[in-house]
Amino acid sequence: MRTEILCRPAASVARITLDEGESITCEVGAMIAMSTSLGVETASRKRGGGGGVLKGLKRMFAGESFFLNHFTAKTNNQSLIIGPSLLGDIVSHKLTGGNLVVQGSSWLASGSDVEIDATWQGFGKAIFSGETMFWVKCSGTGDVLLSSFGAIYEVQVDGAYTVDTGHIVAFEDTLGFSIGKSAGSWLGSFLGGEGLVCKFKGRGKLYCQSHNPPSFGKLLGPLLKAR
Amino acid sequence: MTETSFVHAPLGKTSTSTEGKLAFEIFERPDFSILGVKLRAGEKVFAEPGAMATMTPGVQMKSGFRGGFGRSVGRLFGGESLLVNTFTASQDSEVTLAPGPAGDMVHHRLRGGHLMLQRGAFVAHSDGIDISGKWQGAKGFFSGQGLVLLKASGDGDVFFNAYGAIMEIDVVDGLVVDTGYVVAFEDTLGYKVSVMPGLRPGSKIKTFLFGGEGLVVDFEGRGKVWVQTRDVGPFLRWVTPFRPQKSRG
Repeated sequence: MRTEILCRPAASVARITLDEGESITCEVGAMIAMSTSLGVETASRKRGGGGGVLKGLKRMFAGESFFLNHFTAKTNNQSLIIGPSLLGDIVSHKLTGGNLVVQGSSWLASGSDVEIDATWQGFGKAIFSGETMFWVKCSGTGDVLLSSFGAIYEVQVDGAYTVDTGHIVAFEDTLGFSIGKSAGSWLGSFLGGEGLVCKFKGRGKLYCQSHNPPSFGKLLGPLLKAR
Repeated sequence: MTETSFVHAPLGKTSTSTEGKLAFEIFERPDFSILGVKLRAGEKVFAEPGAMATMTPGVQMKSGFRGGFGRSVGRLFGGESLLVNTFTASQDSEVTLAPGPAGDMVHHRLRGGHLMLQRGAFVAHSDGIDISGKWQGAKGFFSGQGLVLLKASGDGDVFFNAYGAIMEIDVVDGLVVDTGYVVAFEDTLGYKVSVMPGLRPGSKIKTFLFGGEGLVVDFEGRGKVWVQTRDVGPFLRWVTPFRPQKSRG
């Protein structure tokens, strides 16, 4: 499997070339174009604690798609072009046995030897109720493709580091973390516009995005017609 | 062994071509493309209404039904407005044309063949090009917004744009493209709209669940396809949950 990131940085796409028998898993809707000798299989996957088609449907209407496409090459040298829906960049992270926790909408694709667990609740459920934020835990070996809203940058955390939750793309779970308020008091945190932050501790890699999707959504939403 | 080659158009900040009938430059590719056309006295450029950003003295703009009313109605079906603005130079001058969405723009020199354009992709053309709407019949209807096409024919320059970057793909042995991402293609290619392979009858999950998503164009034969790297549809679906709820009662 070869991966190239093209058209960087604002409208990036990933071109994946697969040889016979190789496969990759993407979210439904990520496929832009592909060669004809790729087999496509659509499957549902547990997400956010619930399994099965009915629960999945419920989640889909709540704005989360939970269907995954598995692409498998039937012959050598088959290409697949995938991209996210928001403007921004893509990076490829190589997993070599550790775990990577990915913000749900930043997970674009992963190799067939990467386990995807969309039921990860490390931050707790209550904290994010009201926001359609979910997390995907990737483990195993292989490439994980991450997309961002805006630019993407890597931080090698050694010690402590605080990030607004909306700016997290992914992090290695060698990092400890806790969700908290940004200012001394809850009132101060919300008046300051920095709702929730994630406080990381320890050593590990962290990917951040330059722009915060929920902030952009909250800016646009009120200007649009009621649904 | 079969092989599909993917040739990626070189992206630079500025692109131009000596192939052009018109002297032009496309600036700020691929994110904020804008087209500058240099006209000599008597030369013309035809553009979609609203595309003109700047022009120097000596350019006359005229809006009108180009190619007669029937053609214009065809273009309306193709998703472009009825009118095409004509810019005629009376001396050496320059016109810049900027399309609505932020994104990429591509020049294609037609020499007698045809180029199919997705609705909304047309920006401008030179003299010698004829744009007509092509009613897709059931094929277009089935795909909903997915695939309504304009047909450019003749000998001259065609400029088209899209939201996101545009990739040029040389189809050698077939290609499958999501309907929302097709910008343009040469009509030497055969095409049909179908359902994404994983969603075809017999598979567990049915297309209607995706509200029209999951439709693809199957290309066969040889020719070029231009594909955009972002689509406004998914972006609009992303923003929908942020819209206010209608109050009831």
